[in-house]
Amino acid sequence: MVVGACVCGRNGCQGRLSGPGILSNDCRWIEGPLMKLPPVDYEAPETVSEALELLAEHLDEASVLAGGQSLIPLLALRLARPAVLIDINGIDELSGVSVTDDTVAVGAMTREYVAEESTTVAGTVPLLAAALPLIGHEAIRSRGTIGGSLAHADPAAELPAVALALDAEFVVRSSKSGERVISAAEWFEGYLTTSRRPDELLVEVRFPTAGPGTGISFQEVARRHGDFAMVGLAAALTLSDGTISDARLAFAGISDVPVRASEAENLLMGERPSAALFDEAARRATGDIDPPADLHGTSEYRKKVAATLVRRGLQTAAADAGERQ
Amino acid sequence: MTGIVAERYTGASIKRSEDPRILTGAGRYVDDIKLPRMLHAAFVRSPLAHARVLSVDVSAARALPGVVAAFTGAELEAMTVPGPDALMALMGWAGPTPEFTLLATDKVRFVGDPVAIVIAESRYLAEDGCELAEVEYDDLPPVANAAFALDPGSPPLFANLGDNIARPHSRKQYGDVSGTFADADRVIDFHIDVHRHQNVPMEGRGCVASYDADLGTLTIHAATQSVHVSKIAVAMRLGMEQDKVRALAGDIGGSFGLKIGASREELAVAAASRDLGRPVKWVEDRGENLTASGQAREESFDVRAAVSNDGDLLGLDVNAIIDTGAYPGMGAMVPDIMEAMLPGPYKLAALGFESTAVTTNKASYVAYRGPWASETFVRERVLDLVAKDLGIDPLEIRLRNAAPRTDPPASMVTGRPLVGVTTRESLERVAQLVDIPAFRRRQAEARAHGRYLGIGVATFIEAAPGPREPGGPSGPMGMESMRLRLEEDGIVVLFTGQMPHGQSHQTTLAQIAADEFGVPFDQVRVVVGDTDVVPFGLTGGSRSATMTGGVALHGARQLKVKVLDFASNLMEASAQDLLITDGNVWVRGDPASAIPVSEVARRAASGDFGTGVDASLEVEAAFDGGEGGWSGGSHCAIVEVDVETGLVKVERYVVAEDCGALINPAVVEGQIRGGIAQGIGAVLLERSAYDEDGNCQSATFMDYLLPTSCDIPRIEIEHLETVPLDADVNFRGVGEGGMIVTPPTVVNAIEDALSPFGVRIYEQHLPPARILELIAAADSSQ
Amino acid sequence: MDITLRVNGTTRTGSAEPRRTLADFLREDLDLTGTHVGCEHGVCGACTVIVDGRAVRACLMLAVQATGSEITTVEGLAPDGELGGLQQAMWDSHSFQCGFCTPGFVMQATAFLRAHPDADEQQIREALSGNICRCTGYQSIIDGVLLAAGREHQG
Repeated sequence: MVVGACVCGRNGCQGRLSGPGILSNDCRWIEGPLMKLPPVDYEAPETVSEALELLAEHLDEASVLAGGQSLIPLLALRLARPAVLIDINGIDELSGVSVTDDTVAVGAMTREYVAEESTTVAGTVPLLAAALPLIGHEAIRSRGTIGGSLAHADPAAELPAVALALDAEFVVRSSKSGERVISAAEWFEGYLTTSRRPDELLVEVRFPTAGPGTGISFQEVARRHGDFAMVGLAAALTLSDGTISDARLAFAGISDVPVRASEAENLLMGERPSAALFDEAARRATGDIDPPADLHGTSEYRKKVAATLVRRGLQTAAADAGERQ
Repeated sequence: MTGIVAERYTGASIKRSEDPRILTGAGRYVDDIKLPRMLHAAFVRSPLAHARVLSVDVSAARALPGVVAAFTGAELEAMTVPGPDALMALMGWAGPTPEFTLLATDKVRFVGDPVAIVIAESRYLAEDGCELAEVEYDDLPPVANAAFALDPGSPPLFANLGDNIARPHSRKQYGDVSGTFADADRVIDFHIDVHRHQNVPMEGRGCVASYDADLGTLTIHAATQSVHVSKIAVAMRLGMEQDKVRALAGDIGGSFGLKIGASREELAVAAASRDLGRPVKWVEDRGENLTASGQAREESFDVRAAVSNDGDLLGLDVNAIIDTGAYPGMGAMVPDIMEAMLPGPYKLAALGFESTAVTTNKASYVAYRGPWASETFVRERVLDLVAKDLGIDPLEIRLRNAAPRTDPPASMVTGRPLVGVTTRESLERVAQLVDIPAFRRRQAEARAHGRYLGIGVATFIEAAPGPREPGGPSGPMGMESMRLRLEEDGIVVLFTGQMPHGQSHQTTLAQIAADEFGVPFDQVRVVVGDTDVVPFGLTGGSRSATMTGGVALHGARQLKVKVLDFASNLMEASAQDLLITDGNVWVRGDPASAIPVSEVARRAASGDFGTGVDASLEVEAAFDGGEGGWSGGSHCAIVEVDVETGLVKVERYVVAEDCGALINPAVVEGQIRGGIAQGIGAVLLERSAYDEDGNCQSATFMDYLLPTSCDIPRIEIEHLETVPLDADVNFRGVGEGGMIVTPPTVVNAIEDALSPFGVRIYEQHLPPARILELIAAADSSQ
Repeated sequence: MDITLRVNGTTRTGSAEPRRTLADFLREDLDLTGTHVGCEHGVCGACTVIVDGRAVRACLMLAVQATGSEITTVEGLAPDGELGGLQQAMWDSHSFQCGFCTPGFVMQATAFLRAHPDADEQQIREALSGNICRCTGYQSIIDGVLLAAGREHQG
């Protein structure tokens, strides 16, 4: 769990920093390790407007508690110190999957397991359906939510890469400014940081339905089944008469945000799938990247694996597109 | 009724008597204990690897509502009696003895070193209190690795030692080392590293200490491998008389060598309980377990191998450096066992062994399942590397060098006789089970398609208990005691100092006693975990199968003799004509005479018999291991390496093992599989990591990775027919072997998979990134 | 805060500050110590319980979030002392050793088998890959689950 370093400057301090609302600046390792949650206030609004009022009141001092599968460990490790938790699990209107024309709207509180079991999702957003089973383990997906994972924005997680690949839209609301729709490209700002303002609540994520002739692939290289990806790739290829008419590639784990491989996508457009093409796409997609290094992999390693995933992902997506035509 | 048939339990996979409570959540672990007025402790710990402590101020912690007390290291010194590390005292350590306080006072020596204890109404509040403690440190340069520790310029961790040498360099030679190396066809040099990893039981360390101020007694509810060792450690440290301290243990959630004696934290908790006159509980959380409980195996070896061109391993010369971490313990003592075991079951004629152990600013080196295991890693890696250099098949080189089973037995060059070893049989059998030629064909075909499969073999022996030395006064594992009693209700009770933490003793010992005594399995009860009631004992060193199985066997026989002697008074027959079968005492040839054992016991307890009759149906038995013997076997792993991602899959794992006679095959197999899983974990996933400043980087389960059900294949185990050495007791220990031999087995397989790339492996930890590095390095060096 | 929930078929009430995890609440406030705490950051699975029909890590839920829920802990599977089918199969299969991970496995497997009674070995391994055991190497646990599933089939 690598975050920015604490600013205390003390040799050996392991205090972690991230964005507003998640973590304080205090050095918190000095008395650790500690694993019981710190004192925190708690609110459980029953409607979206109640939640928005609370957010407007507490701003940076609040953390929104959705599935809790990412937030509660941070609290337990005392790396996050909000003054108040705003538990939105009781707001029924935030759950559900609905299709309108070519958009699939997923309520922010839709549980990952519900989306995983949804035939609607499988039929309309196959890339999302492919990524969901790779999120942690069953018990995590029992509680984890689509909105929660995307608002937490861990760059090594599966859903941010999917959302970025598909140009998903993020619908936020605040009591002051009403509703705002944010594109995926603008949503992910930095490590665990989104463009959600402190008084805003993510209420819905909208995915485009996959068009005809679209094949997908979600692959990741992780240390063990269910772990965060060291590198992951969300890929989609649309074939029209054997030619690529749309290409989407988004990485997990190579930066502090998910990353679109736009150069590689551009290369693929208008071409016929081939091993040589995919090799070149892999080179274009990874030539300039400088992935982070941690205990699980060096930067050089992640770069190599990213290229491998592009080759494998494109092959799989192309074959999948062939089957769907 | 035609006759009475005795059931045979020993050798059968009898269902465990532990399981009904385990499966229903009715087990009683330390954290389940709730006593009236119980408080909870948490520790203020150092964030720095190496520093002087300038001041410790816990006043703000004390002032927090819900916090009942807080003690600094200095205050605890005033409350306790200084003394040596319990484990080292137990093992008779005579080397350098660092001086340090129970909790850190003047210095901290690793990140996580406990500095103060906070005691509160709940663990939550205790941790809140810890956050309020203010400690001022003066940084010192960290001694973050063995190389710096060896440098006389490195700041000494312990002022009284003056340097960072926990065990000074020493060298011993066996056989004609210089002659062997001078005459050998080739001498090959290697440097081999074993990485730091650790026990990680699912339950951490912990205890509830409960001081009764009225009686002046202290009860410790411990998670421990020996209640007696815990009690002794606590009594000594608190300056209490031994009979005023009682240690109890219920169920224990694994240990693998971690929970022996009493840790510094547990001693602090006991002292706090005495001061407060209230029970105090401390159970370490996972962060503490990963950073502070202790780690193991960080060793490096310079190895010279003297070989013949035909593949004879003639001699080894090994220089070992052990990184023992900050506080003394197993690390300084492990070189002796490594040295003794290095030759393994081979004909090695000459061994030079030298070692140095150093202190560093990391968690202390503790015993971890087969603490000496690196000797097997070094030897089994060297054999494969030599085989490759000489172009010899790895199985063939082992068969060539395996010591034959002779009479009188050959001895390891370090002295112990290789009596009864079945190494040759286990190698041949594991090869048969795997069908190596068929694998080689499959491997070649896979390579043609860009897939890299590999096969690895390794063999080992383990002194569990080891052979009896001719003329020795007792066996190599000392004596094991047991008290056996026939209760009034006909239950045979075994009181043992063993402290099972997954070994299923309550089942296995009952199997043996039931068979020997003649009662149904359900009529035997095994009592553990109470120093007021059980004799001295310790579960460790894979001793229990032989030592405790043996004392149960002989003790049950002794008890039977006593019971039949008494029963002869009831049955108008002499004791020689009486039998016990299926819970009944009867006269040979007359089934109608049968009376239940419970009736005999009831009559004995009735007091109806005068002093001329011995009616106390209890014996104190002791056993010295009998003829003892080796445990061992050969393992074979088939792996596939994805050379683009570095991920390794263990596709198949086969074992041909010899642990003597089996008490309970399912228990034996469970122990072996668990050890193998830890060995696979060590190679592919687990590393206790520190950076160059001594910060622990593997403090959560997101960074210290344990193998899961997707990482461990089905493990096929075949039990070889053993060579019985003793008339009665041929059970041998099997607890550590799986862990000992698995790392070289898997590394050998990975190296075989990568042989098309020319990869040679001189280390034990091979995460995906490292695999790719090894391939790239081999590529570029060609 | 006050909490009212149903645990193992019985209505239980209690009170907990918001930061108290469901795992700690079950163990200490309701004296249901069968649920074990192994890591407190959601990785090891020892704390798995069933909440409203789904397997959940009790260390990753706050007790106050469980108000109004229906929870099953390991103690609820054999309330009258007679082992359930899965527990019996695990006993027969020598599934466990030290027992610390056991309740989590039992609850996770219970939830999984209810939803996937026909699962094969690979599916079972994946379903249980979020539960860590340090003693067994998993094979005996998988065997217990397979045996339970097989017996269910035979009816």
